[in-house]
Amino acid sequence: MDLIHPSDEAGVIDTMRAATSARTRVKVVGGRTHTINADGVDAELWTTSLDRVIAHDPAEMLCVVEAGMRLGDLRRLLRDGSQEWPVDEPDAATVGGVIAADVALPRQLRVGCLRDTVVEMVFVTGDGRRIRSGARTVKNVTGYDLHRLLTGSFGMLGVITQVALKVRPLPKVARTLETREGGMELATRLLDVVPLPAAVIAEHDRVLVRLEGWPEEVAEQAQLANEVTVMADADPHGLLDPPFADASVVARAAVAPSKLPDCVDGYERYRALLGVGYAWIPCEDDTALTRVRERVASLGGTAPVVRGAGGLGPVDPIAAAIGARIKAAFDPAGILVHG
Amino acid sequence: MLGPGAVVDDPLERRLYARDASLVEGSAGLLVFPTSADEVAACMTVARDHGLPVVPRGSGTGLAGGATPLEDALVVVTTKMRRILDVRPQDRLAWVEPGVFNLDLATALAPTGFTYAPDPSSQQVSSIGGNVNTNAGGPHCLAYGVTSAHVLALDVVLPDGTRARIGSEGPAGAGYDLRGIVVGSEGTLGVVTAACVRLTPIAPAVRTMLLDFARVEDCAATVSSIVARGVVPAALEMMDRGIVRAVEAFAHAGYPTDAAAVLLVEVDGLEAAVAAQAREVETAAREHDVGTVRVAADDAERTLLWKGRKSAFGAIARIAPHYHLHDCVVPRTKLTDVLVGVYAIAKRHDLIVTNVFHAGDGNLHPLFSFDLSVPGTLDRVLAAADEVVRLCVDAGGALSGEHGIGLEKRDFMPLVFTAEDLDAQACVRAAFDPDGRMNPHKVLPSGARCGDFAAAALARAGALPEGTWI
Repeated sequence: MDLIHPSDEAGVIDTMRAATSARTRVKVVGGRTHTINADGVDAELWTTSLDRVIAHDPAEMLCVVEAGMRLGDLRRLLRDGSQEWPVDEPDAATVGGVIAADVALPRQLRVGCLRDTVVEMVFVTGDGRRIRSGARTVKNVTGYDLHRLLTGSFGMLGVITQVALKVRPLPKVARTLETREGGMELATRLLDVVPLPAAVIAEHDRVLVRLEGWPEEVAEQAQLANEVTVMADADPHGLLDPPFADASVVARAAVAPSKLPDCVDGYERYRALLGVGYAWIPCEDDTALTRVRERVASLGGTAPVVRGAGGLGPVDPIAAAIGARIKAAFDPAGILVHG
Repeated sequence: MLGPGAVVDDPLERRLYARDASLVEGSAGLLVFPTSADEVAACMTVARDHGLPVVPRGSGTGLAGGATPLEDALVVVTTKMRRILDVRPQDRLAWVEPGVFNLDLATALAPTGFTYAPDPSSQQVSSIGGNVNTNAGGPHCLAYGVTSAHVLALDVVLPDGTRARIGSEGPAGAGYDLRGIVVGSEGTLGVVTAACVRLTPIAPAVRTMLLDFARVEDCAATVSSIVARGVVPAALEMMDRGIVRAVEAFAHAGYPTDAAAVLLVEVDGLEAAVAAQAREVETAAREHDVGTVRVAADDAERTLLWKGRKSAFGAIARIAPHYHLHDCVVPRTKLTDVLVGVYAIAKRHDLIVTNVFHAGDGNLHPLFSFDLSVPGTLDRVLAAADEVVRLCVDAGGALSGEHGIGLEKRDFMPLVFTAEDLDAQACVRAAFDPDGRMNPHKVLPSGARCGDFAAAALARAGALPEGTWI
């Protein structure tokens, strides 16, 4: 296995041109916090040296960085301007990596989806073409948003080298509250009672309520939550860490929010994002994963594996056919990983 | 396949559908008015079998020529698909047909405590299908995001007549995010037959404020100061003196006609948060020599203040008989420079310009007013339009913030994208539409230009059709 560690975009372009002409199969690697299985890979392209800040003016509420930058470095950069890119993933993860993995944002109810925070992207195709899409403005409808295809593409279409991110002010106050008991029913009641939470997260033995904003609104909502059940302040890191670090395989179900109780019913361990529709379920073996996927499919959702073996799961045939044509255009030699 | 009256070949009708709300006129072939996804699929199959170009059309309020048919294309009009299919507050989503008016959806949702957040100024008559295809914006997209952030899934009929669901009712779908490509694709990838939209909780409290300034620069600087204070208002709209005077004469909203510029600011959330944000907004404005800070005392006053903003384009006819409206977006910190540049361009070409725009987003809408009966006016208008686009691009902006590219801006695309960028976009388009029959000649420049649309159309144009929005 070759390890290629380009220091700049030109190096990525050279690598991909050479790989296409030699038919070298390349897997793009960021911080290794989210990877997909890829058989028969000849080389890994590490993006972590592409870590420069390209442009950052807090007044624009945009930040342009190279995609190999670690989230920890980005957090420190943005914190100086009292801002954040609201992605709650480990410090070691890279910006490009979490975009390529389209990670869930636990605080989605307040901060929205990751895919809506990427406003401009530069990527290098499988055959070494440098492509840019979007613009460094918070709003833009100029042309086709190719960056949206790369978001969640797991390195199958190209190497993300640079992105402009929509950032937001750090909340004035943030509190994470924890219940003494868990379960979907209690979580659902909390979601109904707390008007504008950042997150309501259910596990089998606790419910977390994340509140963010101005001091008065956080206090008011904490009061409302406490009227439902006794809640104590909790360590927010429990919220930010990827769930089930001990499990070898974790599936991330995505269903319509009201289907979450059915989705996690009967499982000893789960984490569900109320009002959003994500549920993380650890699976001890292939049979367990298949069972999770069958149930999620019957609920109209999908369940990619976000840790371990098992892949991203099936894609609707028509969407898959369109996707295959896009893949052929961006990676004509098929040297990047396949889904 | 379709019901009686659903296929129209009448020359007068076809003439009516030969343009949208832009200045560009094309030529419509057959018009079809399907009432269901099955009927859309049947029409698309016929078009495939006969090799016909197809142009999807909603309410026709687009301002960039996206729904203007060329080469006698088959026009698939979705105005008869106007049902709200399913409202599911527990899932925070609703399924709607493409012809549903934006405001009708918001009104229907209100009793559930949720809303559909994007609110383009055309919302009384623009359709969800059209909003999806232009990735429409609106004043409240500053805090809530544009259409793309509010579309979970789409039912689409592809150019070959195949029906597909892209995206998912859940928070993520399987495979590439094709949903994200179709939203904003200006009818070039397929016909949307239903949209699954996200519902947003209606904020319990809202406060609307009107701030006036003696200097435009102070008004623009206040926008940045508000943001720097960590406040993201629900809306942050700026209007300059010219537009304020026209609006005030029209809407009688009590706008200060002696101010150089005004800011309409709206903050929302829980009552406690609204009070805190309003304080920050006022403090920011005081730092930049604000004149009066008017806070709407009740819903009636709030409605009146918004009436002023939303009727801006009805009011424009008072300035001169004709106008040409732009839609550019620049980095927020460049607002003052670009505004000063726009005034200089207008002066150089002896044109009247007024500005009303989504300041928080850096989304400008310079509006040139003129009288085409004065010889030489057209040339000056076109020269000014070209300069405005280049001014915004040079400031690091994009060609369009919310109206789209269509035909109007198509030939400017090489200003912001390389040939390779455009080629990659063309490849994605071809992945949906290998035969190139969907809304041909739109968005991407072809090797050969099909004439200068803007010039030809302006020469023909009278005033813009009644009811044009930004």
